[in-house]
Amino acid sequence: MEMYSAAFPVLSLILFTCIAGLAAVLLLPADRGEAIRYVSTGCSGVALALSLYVFIAYDRSLGGMQFVEQVQWVPSLGISYINGVDGFGASLLLLTGIVFFTGVLTMWEHEVRVKEFYALFIVLVTGVFGMFMALDLFFLFVWYDVSLFPMYLLIVVWGSTNREYGAMKLTLFLLAGSALILPGIIYLVAESGMHTFSLPDLVAHARLSPFAQKLAFFLFYVGFGILAGVWPFHTWSPAGHVAAPTAVSMLHAGVLMKIGAFGILRVGIFLCPEGWRFWAPVMALLATVGIVYGALAGLRQTDLKFVIGYSSVSHMGIVGLGLATLNVDGMNGAVFQMFAHGIMTALFFSAVGYIYDRTHTREFADLGGLCRVMPAAGGYFILAALTGIGVPCLASFWAELLVFIGAFKAYPAYGAVAITALAINALFILRVVEKTCFGPVNEKWAHLPDVSFGLGLPRLVLACAIIIFGLMPSLMYETIQSASVALIGGLP
Amino acid sequence: MTGWTLFAPELFMLVAAGIFLILSLGRPAAGRDHAAALVISAIGLSLGVWAVGLEGVLFAGVYRIDLFSQVFKVLVGAAFFLVICLCGDLSGVSEKRHSEFYFLLALCTLALMLLASCVHLLAVYLALELSSYSLYILVCLRKGRQKGLESGLKYFMTGACASALMLFGLAVLYGTGAGLSLAELGTRLPGRIHEPVVLAGIVLALSGFLFKMAAFPFHFWAPDAYEGAPHQVAAYIATASKVGGIAVFMRIIASAGGAGDRLAWFLIVVSVVSMTAGNLAAIAQKDLKRLLAFSSVAHAGYVMIGILSFNAMGLAGASFYAMSLLVMKLVCFMVVVKAAPHGDNIEIRHLAGLHGRAPILAAALMLALFGLAGIPPTVGFTAKLLVFTAAVENGLLWLVVAAMANVVISLYYYLQVLKAAYFIEPERGGLALSVSWAENLLALVLAGLIVAAGIYPRPFIAAAQAMTAGLV
Repeated sequence: MEMYSAAFPVLSLILFTCIAGLAAVLLLPADRGEAIRYVSTGCSGVALALSLYVFIAYDRSLGGMQFVEQVQWVPSLGISYINGVDGFGASLLLLTGIVFFTGVLTMWEHEVRVKEFYALFIVLVTGVFGMFMALDLFFLFVWYDVSLFPMYLLIVVWGSTNREYGAMKLTLFLLAGSALILPGIIYLVAESGMHTFSLPDLVAHARLSPFAQKLAFFLFYVGFGILAGVWPFHTWSPAGHVAAPTAVSMLHAGVLMKIGAFGILRVGIFLCPEGWRFWAPVMALLATVGIVYGALAGLRQTDLKFVIGYSSVSHMGIVGLGLATLNVDGMNGAVFQMFAHGIMTALFFSAVGYIYDRTHTREFADLGGLCRVMPAAGGYFILAALTGIGVPCLASFWAELLVFIGAFKAYPAYGAVAITALAINALFILRVVEKTCFGPVNEKWAHLPDVSFGLGLPRLVLACAIIIFGLMPSLMYETIQSASVALIGGLP
Repeated sequence: MTGWTLFAPELFMLVAAGIFLILSLGRPAAGRDHAAALVISAIGLSLGVWAVGLEGVLFAGVYRIDLFSQVFKVLVGAAFFLVICLCGDLSGVSEKRHSEFYFLLALCTLALMLLASCVHLLAVYLALELSSYSLYILVCLRKGRQKGLESGLKYFMTGACASALMLFGLAVLYGTGAGLSLAELGTRLPGRIHEPVVLAGIVLALSGFLFKMAAFPFHFWAPDAYEGAPHQVAAYIATASKVGGIAVFMRIIASAGGAGDRLAWFLIVVSVVSMTAGNLAAIAQKDLKRLLAFSSVAHAGYVMIGILSFNAMGLAGASFYAMSLLVMKLVCFMVVVKAAPHGDNIEIRHLAGLHGRAPILAAALMLALFGLAGIPPTVGFTAKLLVFTAAVENGLLWLVVAAMANVVISLYYYLQVLKAAYFIEPERGGLALSVSWAENLLALVLAGLIVAAGIYPRPFIAAAQAMTAGLV
């Protein structure tokens, strides 16, 4: 792994921005909701700008780890504070920045316990940012858990439908995942005999026995896989997404599930390539089952958020299938799908959140003709649905295309089954769109105002991202490619 | 350095106990006792800090002053001071007993300080009994008697059993010629641990410490004693007394020096059963103090993982764990003391509305609970990382996986407490509590410590490694 030091610690600056925002929110008195919102928006805006800078400034022809910062932290344990991004990290940082910014804006109207909400929200995002840039296993795990623990309160205090159940289930599932990851990390570090948690050092010098790699990869795959919604560990995901408030659903389905997949990639695949190769057929099978299961379970849902929740399981299955292909196309597709699905789900939840805040129902049988009542809000909903289906010229299309190219090379049967399931699901999603947005207007909602420009801003940003990366996929593709070619090429 | 200077912190505690004994003869005056206790415990703590770095041996080799003992004395002294800080509203104890309360607390602190330094099992036994007897009485001091007496009796009976078994074990060890001083044990045990009678002797001798740490099978007293005791006494048992138990346990196991598989297996069983039993039982609790008691049983199991690894990392990890427990448990008990009106017991659901009435206290509680559950970036996570690393280096990956499964179980009940504090709205009027600025400051400092030592544990790990370096 090539390492290029940063002239200026821009990655840490992202974290400091979040921490400064958190401090400012905590210091403001609780009754000044307006000020707290502006501070959070400012903080998320700066974070977005910085992550956009990282994405643009990342040198694709150079590849490797860039913007690397390194500080000794606890030398006696071999812990150091190392940050750096490769093509994978840079794209996902951008995703986090976008979803953070739009998430804060989406919650603009909400009034309950504003201070605590934004404080916990920023803590969560700090963890996500940290996870995508951390190159030390200790910090990686710390950030991973930092991004999980605010979830419980965020869902239980500000959530809806069945929130106590959803929150507890989600937290226990995800922490059960980290209960496998931590032993895995400690085991690898102990096995390597190198007394360091530094990922680049371990990748370069550790000589791990095939057995150790298989065991550790299994722990990482199941541990991170729970968060990535791998079937059969996905059951927390629809329940949790439905219970969570809009911005948290956006962040959770949009970014947090990607942390799981990213963990499998960064820790599992980078450190245990032998284990990866050994378990890849299992990964492919589970991913395919997940795609089919998510698509079919979605058919039975009547609640819009459940529809999105199950489609997330299905789409994360596509990521899993890509990671299991062991070839460059599959890897490119998997990471591209993480990005595209993140933006797409964020838009989906954001659009549904707006509709739910007005109508207080998410049963699509109760809705109808929304496009006539609120054309803009309906438009965003339709765009998200189309992206989810994988319509060409929208970001998800390229991602899914790449994954299936990779999958047909490696597992043609699984690829065929998965595509069929997605096609069935696509028909269903179109029916949902028809029932919600078209058809006769439900008179109860005829008076509702359309989304204003200010409130629509977060959706607009997300929609733009979908279209830009759909029309010019090379922006994203080349960044990811610079990392995946090196990864696959460097395999023993 | 003369002998008496080495002994200064203990001597001071003896004097402090004497002062409270004299005060108890006079007319009761609530404010006076608390002020005196604050000053005295602060001096005791500073004296303890001053004494760090002293080294020497006293009383014909049965009493050893080294970095290990001195740091643990600081921890015990700190716990004493912080518990006294929580005594501003000592309404769980009747007013005329306040001086006796402080007297016994000082005496117990003295005993725990002695315990950290004893390197002869008979001396250890004496110190252990002195601290236990003070606590037996302290538990009974609860106003309204009935509950306090019952739990005091249960505490006493379990303690008496444990110490009888321990004495029997000491006799066996002495009789087989393995000796009673830790230096002798250190040289003779490794060769003789495979003799069943020696193994039986050491296992029996350990029962006294298992009782002190509230580890299986001597943990049955914990929930009742915590529930029945005045809150401050429960806080003291959960912090100072536990830390003292951990200290002496570590010293003895370290001197046995990786003594054979069988002892390790015994400790592994103790550890796994303590964690699992503690965590499962805690799920069913409604009373906050009982919940904390069972969580304390579980934590004895986690600490044991570090100790039974028999390596430098494990011992350092266990010391670090003891430090972290002290801080986290104190925050929890601070909430108990503040939220319980008139020193009554408090159920978890009574915490409803805490976040509105005392936001800083609630935030500190949140961090302490996540710390106890071992979630980063808190000190509790770092402590678990250390002991787990030690165990994996020793080839005990499965034990770590079992412990992590326990962490997930424990999270369930910690989240219930958190939910009560942050989510459930109070029924009527809700919690009547006022938190002074000093208490808010204390909560802030402790919460800051929980996070700071979690994110940047370097100085604390260095201290833990330095103090345990002399043990192996």
